[in-house]
Parts: sequence; structure tokens; C-alpha cells
Amino acid sequence: MTFITSFISHTLVYATVYTLTSLGIILGGRTGIFNVSAEGILLASASTGFVTAYLTGSWLIGFITGALIGAAFGFILAFVHETFKVNQFILGIILVIFGSGLSDLLYKIIVGVRLSAPQAPHVPTVIIPFLSKIPIISGILNQDVVVYFMYFAVIIAYWFYYKTKVGLETRAIGENPKAADVVGVNVKRRRYLATIIGSALIGVAGAYLPIAITGTYSPDISAGRGFMAIGIAIFASWKPQRAILGGFLFAGIEVIAFQLELISANIPYQFFLMLPFISVLIIMMIFKKQIEFPASVGKPYSRE
Amino acid sequence: MKKKNIIQKDLGTKLLRSLSVYGLALFIAFGFISIIIALLGFSVPDALKTLITTSFKSAFGFQETIKKTIPLIFTTYAFTIPFMIKFFNIGAWGQMLFGGTAVAAVGLLIGNFGLPAFIMIPLLVVVGILAGGLWGWFAGFLKAKYDVNPIISTIMLNFVAVLFVNFIATSPAFKDPLEGHPITRPLSSSATLGFFHGIPYSIILAILAIIFVYILLKKTKLGYEITSVGYNLHSSQTYGINFQRTIMLTFLLGGALAGLGGALEVMNIHGKLIEGFAKTSGAQYGVFGILTSLVVAGSPTGVPIAAFFMAVLLVGADALQRTMQIPVEMVFLSQALIVLFIVIIRKKFEAKGGK
Repeated sequence: MTFITSFISHTLVYATVYTLTSLGIILGGRTGIFNVSAEGILLASASTGFVTAYLTGSWLIGFITGALIGAAFGFILAFVHETFKVNQFILGIILVIFGSGLSDLLYKIIVGVRLSAPQAPHVPTVIIPFLSKIPIISGILNQDVVVYFMYFAVIIAYWFYYKTKVGLETRAIGENPKAADVVGVNVKRRRYLATIIGSALIGVAGAYLPIAITGTYSPDISAGRGFMAIGIAIFASWKPQRAILGGFLFAGIEVIAFQLELISANIPYQFFLMLPFISVLIIMMIFKKQIEFPASVGKPYSRE
Repeated sequence: MKKKNIIQKDLGTKLLRSLSVYGLALFIAFGFISIIIALLGFSVPDALKTLITTSFKSAFGFQETIKKTIPLIFTTYAFTIPFMIKFFNIGAWGQMLFGGTAVAAVGLLIGNFGLPAFIMIPLLVVVGILAGGLWGWFAGFLKAKYDVNPIISTIMLNFVAVLFVNFIATSPAFKDPLEGHPITRPLSSSATLGFFHGIPYSIILAILAIIFVYILLKKTKLGYEITSVGYNLHSSQTYGINFQRTIMLTFLLGGALAGLGGALEVMNIHGKLIEGFAKTSGAQYGVFGILTSLVVAGSPTGVPIAAFFMAVLLVGADALQRTMQIPVEMVFLSQALIVLFIVIIRKKFEAKGGK
């Protein structure tokens, strides 16, 4: 029973990182900006978010800083792409390298080497009366506020894209920016907004890693999840409601791999740790036929 | 006669243009780098001087620069060749590690047979090329047959390769029992390459690789196919070029070159497989290969010069850490900024220059 409860709560925590990150990528992609820099944003937000939370003693300030750093990355991506038409993938990769350098540099300069790892302030848990006492269900419900923020973000995104006029227009930009422009949608402004808000969500996921999951910052804390989230966004065909499915799937695989590693002694543990990465490839091969892309993703748009 | 003049003039403006691109980009990038260094509370003139001149101040600095240029040449080609047909090989890191790990494993397994160096070394070089090539080819295969984006597949394969390094370095069959860290036993002397006045012999293979890539791209049918697919996919398909095959071949070639780079690191620099290689210098070469290629806009001919330039910065960054305690991550920031401004300003000039 405790095994199942711990499996569920661990999966939920990692699913939050995966879902928020891929949702952030989806927001940009829906307007045609493929945000490959997620890994760099996760790292930079993890470092700055942790440092500010640690120094101020407030988890909330940590998350806000993480989101702001994410937004700054999103702004740079949108600005350089829209202004100079630099290839989005090239930009994204440069930003990944920039973010991974920035994260360790800031941490080393501000916090430095400590004998015992500094701890982040605790993130409050949402407790629902009565239900929180039942086993298994308690594992699902007794989660910190960011998990609930993730659900909220997915629902809002779904509602936005499929129930509002502005959302419909935004989806149209991803499919055909020229047509959207003709009917009077400000393509440039939407691209900026979507990339900045999306990157801020990735920033929240980045801050979540050290503040809520590990409790402290360590180099390379995102461990490739930013790239796996790109896989999830593609697997989800850029739909928020499917991103959460993908988030749970990959989180589940990661947690299972980790727990198998502890149980099994015969198979070298490295092979279990390879599982999440290999499953990204396998899942993308299996779902090859179902995957759809917004037609303009990755392409620059100019009016002429 | 008249035609020659036009060509010369064209070449002149081209040269002037690229000089101004690099000059302007470096100027702005170093401006930003100076600001960051100043904000971190270090002396800007000292830091810039160390960053740029360490490679040229001593024989040791120069040798270190060459040692870093060689693997960078290989990882830069690994990115450049698939990039010629507009695909991103982010996997030079993994391909390099996989090549190096295979060389260490095979070298240790057959080390007791007492094979002479003239058999052992070519054999291991081939093992590295094949292992890296396989790792690269796999990403090309996934793109060609299953339409998996190479950015994702190569990165996933990187992580698998890092874990594979860890597996070999900790496995009882290979691990050196005297070492506290995951490090394999040293390769036999017949399996390692030496140094000539501090310059590793692997430089010979790097030069051969430069010639090989040049001939391949300029003088062979495959090189022609790669160039024409990169230039115009649709028309090259009409002329019967098999796009799927070209994808797989470019990734195979890129991976093979990265794998050779990894093999030479193991055979010439470390003499064994060190787990830390995966995360430190191995990761640096893998990542900076991408930036290096972008410095010269993915042009294969500029690779050696760009690799040397980036190696100068890497050596300078190590010196910054040693002498001024500026964390080595500063170099990630600096190189990312330099490449960012080169890319932006080049784009700006292209827009101005027409076409």
C-alpha cells in the first residue's frame, strides 16, 4: 500500500514538471515558435528560483523569480527570432547553452560551496478534509500547491484554445499566420505573448525542481527533462489535454525505472536509468501516424 | 579578363563583409561579457587578457589549445555534415562518448593478446569510427523511417551514451580496482598514441579528417547529393536523389567523425575510460561543436579555424578559473553570446546585402 501511495505521489510530482514544461512549449508552438530552449530555461530558473527562495525564505518568491527568468528567455527567443529572423532551432540551442552556463555560474557566485547543502523553504501542501485520510487517494490529493497550479494551467489552456475566440485565432496563427494576419490578428504580438507566457510556465517547472522535489540545487538538475518535454509536446500533437497524459506517462516511466533500479540487483542500474530516454524514442516511433504539427511551427513569418 | 575582375571584387566584398560580421559580433559580445564579469565583481581587463592570451603566452598554453582543437574539429564536423541538409545533430556528445567507450572496452578485452601497435591502433580507430557512426546512423534512421525529430533523438541517445560510459567504467570487468572513482584499467601501451613535443599524435588523424571531409563534399557523388539536398530538397528529389538515404548517411558520417574524436581522446589523452569525461570535457566538446559550427555558418571549410578559436576560449576559461577563481561556466555564457551575436549580425548583413 505504501508502495502504491509513494509511486503515485512521486509520479504526480514529476508529472508536474513534465506537463508544465511541455505546456509551455505547446503555447509557443501554437503560434509557430518552437521553443527548443526548455532545458536551458529549466536550469536557469531552477538556479535563480532556488537562490531567491533560499535567501528570502519564501517559496513563492522563488517561483516568481523562476517564472520571470523563464519569461526573459522567452522574450529573447521571440525578440531575436521576430526581429532578425534567426532560425528558431539555432536560437533555442544557443539559449540552452546560455541557460546551463548561467545556472551554475549564478549558484557558484551567490551560494558558493557549502558543507551541507542549503535547503529551500517548504512548499505548502493542499489538504482536503476527510478525503485526505483515505489511503491511495491521499497520495493523489495531498500534494503541494504547484501540482494544483499545473492542473489549473492545463484546464485554462484547454478552455482558451477550444472555447474562446482568441484561442481559435491563436491556433489559426500556428496553422497559417498569413491568413490570421489578413483577418486582423496581430501575429507578432501573439507570438511574443505566447512564447513569454509559455517560457514563464517552463520557469515555474524549473523552480519546482530544487524547491519542491530535491530541496536543494545541484548542477544539471533538470537531467534532460526539458528535452523530453519537447518529445511530450510532439507526442501530444500540441494539445494541452494530451500533454498532461504525456506528462503522467513519462513521470510514471521515470519513477518505475527508479524503483526497479532499487529492487533489481542482477541488471546493472544504468540500464534502468536509460529507460525514460529510450521510451521517448519508442513512443515517438509508435505514435508516428497520430502526430500532428501546427503547419507553421519553426518557420519565421514576415508580412511581405 | 573582365570576368576575373568581377570575381575578385566579389571575393573582396565577401571577405570584407565576413570580417565586419565577425568584428562587430565579437565587439558586442565582448562588451556583454565585460559587463557580466564586472557585475560579478572581477577585474575586466585582467579577465579578458587571460581569456584571450593564455593560449599564446606559453608552450603549455599552445599545446593545451591544440589538444582541445582536435576533438572540437571532430564534433564540429559531426554537427556540420547533417546541418548541410538542414538537420540538427545535437548528438556529437553521445556519439563521441559511445566511440570512446567502445574503444576502451574493446581495447581492454583484447589487450591481453599482445597484438602489436600497428594492428591494435588501426583496429581501435575503426572500432571508434564504427561505434560513433552507428550511434549517429540510428538518429538518421529514426528520422528517415519514423520521422522522429533528430533534435530529440540525438539528445536521448546522448543520455543513453552517458549511462553507457558509466556502466563500462563501473563494471567489474573493466574498472580499475585501485581507483576510487569509476575509471577503467589503463589501455596497454600498444593501444595508446603518444605526443610529439606536447602535441598529441591524434592531430594527424584530425588533418586526415579535414582532407577527407573536403574531398567527400567537393569531389564525390555523395558530397554532391548532400550539397544539392541542402540547396533545394524538392528539385534534388526530382533528379532521383534518395532523401532517406542521404539523411542516414549524413548522420552516419557525422557520428563516425565524432566517434573517432572520442576514440582519440581515450587513446591519446586519457589512455583509459574516465567516467568524468562524459560530464566534463566530453560534454564541452559535444556542445561546443554545435556553437563552433554556427560560428562559420555551418560551412565545412571554416571548421578548423573556428575550432581553434573556440579552443582558445576554452583554454582561457580554464585559466580564468585557476588564476582568478571565475567559474568555468563563464565560458558557456561567453561562447553562447559570441555565437548569438555572430548569428544575428550575419543575418542582418544578409538582409542588407540582398539575396
